[in-house]
Amino acid sequence: MYLYLPVALTSINILIPVGLGLAVGLLSGLFGVGGGFLLTPLLIMFGIPSTVAAATDSNQIVAASTSGTYAHWKVGNVDFKMGLYLLVGGFVGGIIGVQAIKLLHAMGNADFVIKMTYVLMLGIVGVYMFIESIQSMKKSKSAVVEVREEKESAVGRFLKTLPLQTRFEKSGVTHSALVPIVLGAFVGILAAIMGVGGGFLMVPVMVYMLRMPMHVVVGTSLFQILFTCIEVTFLQAYTNHSVDFLLAVLLLVGSTVGAQIGTVFGRKLKGEQLKVLLAVIVLIVTVKIVFELTLTPSLLISQAGGH
Amino acid sequence: MNTFKVQSSTFKGAAIAILSAAMMVVAGGNAHAMLTAKANHDRITIDFFYHGSTVSVKGLSDAGRDLVIKITSPEGHQVMKQKGKVAGVLWMNVGTLKFENTPNMYELFSTKKVDDILSREERAKHTIGYDALADHVEVNPTANAAEKTQWFGEFVKFKEASNLYRTDFGKIEMNDLPDGHQEYFIQTEWPYQAAPGAYTVSVYAVKDGKVVEQAESHVRVEQVGMVKTLAGMAKDSAAVYGFLSIGIALSAGFGVGLVFRKGGGSH
Repeated sequence: MYLYLPVALTSINILIPVGLGLAVGLLSGLFGVGGGFLLTPLLIMFGIPSTVAAATDSNQIVAASTSGTYAHWKVGNVDFKMGLYLLVGGFVGGIIGVQAIKLLHAMGNADFVIKMTYVLMLGIVGVYMFIESIQSMKKSKSAVVEVREEKESAVGRFLKTLPLQTRFEKSGVTHSALVPIVLGAFVGILAAIMGVGGGFLMVPVMVYMLRMPMHVVVGTSLFQILFTCIEVTFLQAYTNHSVDFLLAVLLLVGSTVGAQIGTVFGRKLKGEQLKVLLAVIVLIVTVKIVFELTLTPSLLISQAGGH
Repeated sequence: MNTFKVQSSTFKGAAIAILSAAMMVVAGGNAHAMLTAKANHDRITIDFFYHGSTVSVKGLSDAGRDLVIKITSPEGHQVMKQKGKVAGVLWMNVGTLKFENTPNMYELFSTKKVDDILSREERAKHTIGYDALADHVEVNPTANAAEKTQWFGEFVKFKEASNLYRTDFGKIEMNDLPDGHQEYFIQTEWPYQAAPGAYTVSVYAVKDGKVVEQAESHVRVEQVGMVKTLAGMAKDSAAVYGFLSIGIALSAGFGVGLVFRKGGGSH
């Protein structure tokens, strides 16, 4: 059955957005990523204008991450304190990032810098996560603990000297409040430059730099994404008039259910297994982007707007 | 986004003008000449279940004429992203191209290939065919004519991919009548990608490489009901629309969460 989308000004088979929503919601619930880096290009492929695809996607992520956060909160996997510190940092980072884009555009070559940042970040994060999680899956439990302690002594000593040390009960870690704020800002800057939500960067940062347990990472990441996407949806609706309400509803029918299923699946998997899977997905996306960049496109022209 | 200036006066007059087939004699002062055009289904309404439509154009002309039917939207200004190679290997957006005097939709049907029945001057005069359209539009920034032709070609490919540009010949049905006239008829798919607005159907009768008569009809596409309400709200009450979108998303997320807790209860 086809439905006409009033803002996108096109008609779409309703099974497409519902199905895509389900798949992306599943990823959200499993890994704590928004999935915008997958969904936006898919929507464009199905004929949705790029500005509408990006804006509507963030509206849909609000629904999926509410559903996911709720599911994770019920099983005690959301560290609200950590989430709030990261949010503060992310907000500041977003403002800096937007200014950085303006600067890049003024200097020309903005797209080149953005695409390269994207590919490099995805590639590095994917490869590192993949190797690390495979190694820790192979090693015995005691060996993992040893490795961790060894690593912590290097970075940890410096972090311990920072002021405002505070305990994050849910995650079972102690950090200076400055650490999540600065890391949140760093992800915020990159996310703004790349025009993505940043979940796939925030998750590794929480796992490897904040040393939070994987299951708490997923819940906390979703909590943080929820607020970011509320802000983005409003700005997109208010300034660009590019949120398609009907398309968002079709997507969220799938994604809210997908997020619940993802959460249930995630609890059946070990943290290491989740990390390997996420690493594989990130690497697939990297390869896809590299292909897009190197193969001659069929159309050399596209609608302006969007990212 | 595309911005098209649609004259509202066109809308007002349209209802009357559409119903009666417009008729005008262009060249030659030929007293016997006659060409009529009528687009049936001249008002297309877009509701939630809209998935394109069909439009047929029919009329009469003098026998022995070749016919060209052109369906266009008003001309406007479009901004497109331009892809190019960076550092010799990487394809990415390298700039923007501005297209002026460019219709968002351009469909051309003819009894024979337009190049074979019309001279280049005549095609240019009536903007018939991609070559003529290419000369008519402005593309900026382009360094020379070759570059302009190349990028207009890419633009046409883009538009054809979204079913908004099309040229086709041999699809017009013709029937000779005993009184020395011929009836013509064509039925064509109206693409759902065509935005709301006023569209012009121009019919040209061709003889000896020249357009000898011209007739016009109109098709109007408009949103109705909830589609119109939502589209209007997104533009005119953007803040309310934004809050509404977020509110629905939040409640859907919570709602589904609650349903799953009741259904599953797995901890």
